[in-house]
Amino acid sequence: MITQFLLVKTFRLILLIAAVATLSFVLVSSSPVDPVDAYVGAAMLRISPDQREVIAKRWGLDRPPVERFGRWAGQMATGNFGVSTIFNEPVLSVIGKRFITSFWLMALAWSLSGALGFGLGLIAGAREDTLLDRSIRLYAYTMASTPTFWVGMILLMIFSVSLGWTPVCCAWPPGLSAEQATLWQRLHHLLLPAITLSLIGIAQITLHTREKTIEALRSDYSIFARAQGESTIGIVFRRALRNVALPAVTLQFASLGELFGGAVLAEQVFAYPGLGRTTVEAGIRGDIPLLLGIVLFSTIFVFTGNFMADLIYHLVDPRLRKATGAIS
Amino acid sequence: MNVRHFLIGVALPLLLVIASGCDRQQKVSADTPKTLTLILGEENTEGFDPTLGWGSYGNPLFQSTLLKRDADLKIVSDLATKWELGDGQLAWTVKIRPEVVFSDGSPLTARDVAYTFNTAAKAGGVVDLSNLQLAEAIDDSTVILRLKHPDITFIQHLITLGIVPEKLHGPGYGRKPIGSGPYKLVRWDEGQQMIVEANDRYYGIKPSIKRLVFLFSTENAAIAAAMAGKVDVLGVSSNLAGQKIPGMTLHVVKSVDNRGLMFPMVPDTGRKTPRGLAIGNNVTSDIAIRKAVNYAINRQALVDGVLDGHGRPAFGAVDDLPWDNPEIRFKDNDPEKAKAILEEAGWRDSDGDGVREKDGKKAEFEILYNTKDSLRQGLALAVSDMLRPVGIKAVPRGENWDRIKDELTHAFVIVYGFGGHSPLEMYKLYHSNGPEPMYWNAGFYVNPVVDNYLDQALRAPSFDEAIPLWKKAQWDGKTGISTPGDASWAWLVNLDHTYFINQCLDVGKSQMEPHGHGWPITANIDQWQWTCK
Repeated sequence: MITQFLLVKTFRLILLIAAVATLSFVLVSSSPVDPVDAYVGAAMLRISPDQREVIAKRWGLDRPPVERFGRWAGQMATGNFGVSTIFNEPVLSVIGKRFITSFWLMALAWSLSGALGFGLGLIAGAREDTLLDRSIRLYAYTMASTPTFWVGMILLMIFSVSLGWTPVCCAWPPGLSAEQATLWQRLHHLLLPAITLSLIGIAQITLHTREKTIEALRSDYSIFARAQGESTIGIVFRRALRNVALPAVTLQFASLGELFGGAVLAEQVFAYPGLGRTTVEAGIRGDIPLLLGIVLFSTIFVFTGNFMADLIYHLVDPRLRKATGAIS
Repeated sequence: MNVRHFLIGVALPLLLVIASGCDRQQKVSADTPKTLTLILGEENTEGFDPTLGWGSYGNPLFQSTLLKRDADLKIVSDLATKWELGDGQLAWTVKIRPEVVFSDGSPLTARDVAYTFNTAAKAGGVVDLSNLQLAEAIDDSTVILRLKHPDITFIQHLITLGIVPEKLHGPGYGRKPIGSGPYKLVRWDEGQQMIVEANDRYYGIKPSIKRLVFLFSTENAAIAAAMAGKVDVLGVSSNLAGQKIPGMTLHVVKSVDNRGLMFPMVPDTGRKTPRGLAIGNNVTSDIAIRKAVNYAINRQALVDGVLDGHGRPAFGAVDDLPWDNPEIRFKDNDPEKAKAILEEAGWRDSDGDGVREKDGKKAEFEILYNTKDSLRQGLALAVSDMLRPVGIKAVPRGENWDRIKDELTHAFVIVYGFGGHSPLEMYKLYHSNGPEPMYWNAGFYVNPVVDNYLDQALRAPSFDEAIPLWKKAQWDGKTGISTPGDASWAWLVNLDHTYFINQCLDVGKSQMEPHGHGWPITANIDQWQWTCK
């Protein structure tokens, strides 16, 4: 059964990748950004039309789009993602380098928002319509409607510029190498971007968990438990928690896509050298191989998130574990 | 664990650690003043390979060049000891300085020079060596660069192309550059910083600052970092130069980074380029309009108002460069003269609406600028105000940059910016062009006399002998590209490039900088020194 589950998932992933790749390529090819123009930049008067052709040829832009896509897809199938035009380096190596930096940012933000959001949601649900609940809801609604980069800029202005508590840029102190920087220094530089990202991520999971908690508290089994003298706290932790956890897990893993999008903005604001900033550059400067590479990478990333949610469901929920036929 | 326990047990130690962490960082920067931290704008994401164009805007830093320009932009020797143009201006013979080694200790010979030029010609980077026939090493110390056709501006490549070692050069070179320049790359954390140390094997005067850290960040983050005392040299746009940053002084560098109005020179007859772009404008094709615009504008007011005083009036594309012709200067802010020119050409305001007309068409055109560029917007708005009193209606309009260059460039007045260290730029802007010129003479300007001077200048036997010809193309007493002649552009201002530098740093005399703010200030970085104890 588990093999069938994996097979179906793999098949879907391949279909998804093919669709995403085709769509992205069409979009990127019809973008008004001329990669050669973006590359030449301020040197435009020194570069003759002949030289522009040489540049276009180096990148294979002299061929028609359909042929380019065919060649790219063929190479892709053998695991060759091509060479980034703006970095002049294999796409996989660019993504690899940047993703490691982004990974820690996203991991920290993701765990923070998951733990805090779930906790706040439980509290708000358990204390429905109290002042506490209303404050938490106010916070969640505010954050849900606030753009990441704006929160980032506010935090940067307060904590880095005015108070000087956190650094203004980079992943570790300038002038040091990655190995010289202590774990503390790296965390210190990670702090503000991660908080920015998680502040916003908290909102969704809080509101969702709150709803589910209220639902659980009104269920028959909760009322029965209360009739037997169980306290609200007791009901929340001993009865409701396991029921509420399931949707929260789904939501948290499904939020990987948003996390990725949020990281793009947060990294811009904090000059944090991760995959997000690279994505922006690839887009602005028309680096088609890199942009497609990143799009595919993020597709797999988000897919993996959803896949993990499915998997964890099966592990966590005893009902699903038994009903093996329900797997798909 | 109750709240009080939490505060004492976790939060308090955490706060202490944060406080001590900040403290320690400040101490490090105070104890090691020898490291210089710079934020000079964008990172060269492609790496540091001169054959792909690294260093063509100033200084390759890790590599050295055959020639270089001194603080007065005079061409002086670097790797080359002797350089001669011969064989009907088709061959540069260059003698290489003996005993130069790359930073890994291997010798630099004429073979490396030939390899660098030949490779750059084919590499498809931002170096245009399409005029190079072949570079060949005659012996260890002599290289001959053969050209396809005479072009004196080829000397710019001798000035900017950093020489790479043939043995070590390959696809990964840009990330591990080995060269013979004053500095060598220690590490590059992409997207974040570049650490650079003095090259002990450099053949020139060893730089006194041994370690440099270049940070790559946005302008806002850069200023925040400077406010926090973490930066020693910082390039800022002139509208941000007014603020005070503790411990730093403002360093202002003159530039040929100019802005001006490009005029379509031919009437709109429905003609199109092969790609289908419209050509010409019926108002600006009249020389009286172009001259009136040039005389009516108050350039000093533009400098004071739009650039906050950080600039100087521009009268041509090459102001104050060695090939600038001083005779093209004229008295501007002269609306009376502008009016007289218009009257004489038959532009009169007969219907009393404040806009002149002639043969049924109004003296009216749009000035297009890149919407994202507030400086160009400011110039367009101010110029429009200055032209209204003389009876010319110039309507400023912001446009998407891609649309400007891909659709509108041949039929509209556009605020453009140029400015480079090579007279090649003047040639490209004013020589009669091909059918699809893009930026090269986008206004379709043609003057056979000017063409002749420009062509002669290209064929000149030496750079110095070309200079009088470049000057004549601007104005020879009868005609030329400048305002006294055909008034093919209305140049407005030359920007100043503004930098905040640590008050303990002496950066010497900076070169007049080209278009592009930031990296060019490093042209003399090997002479910078710390002045405080």
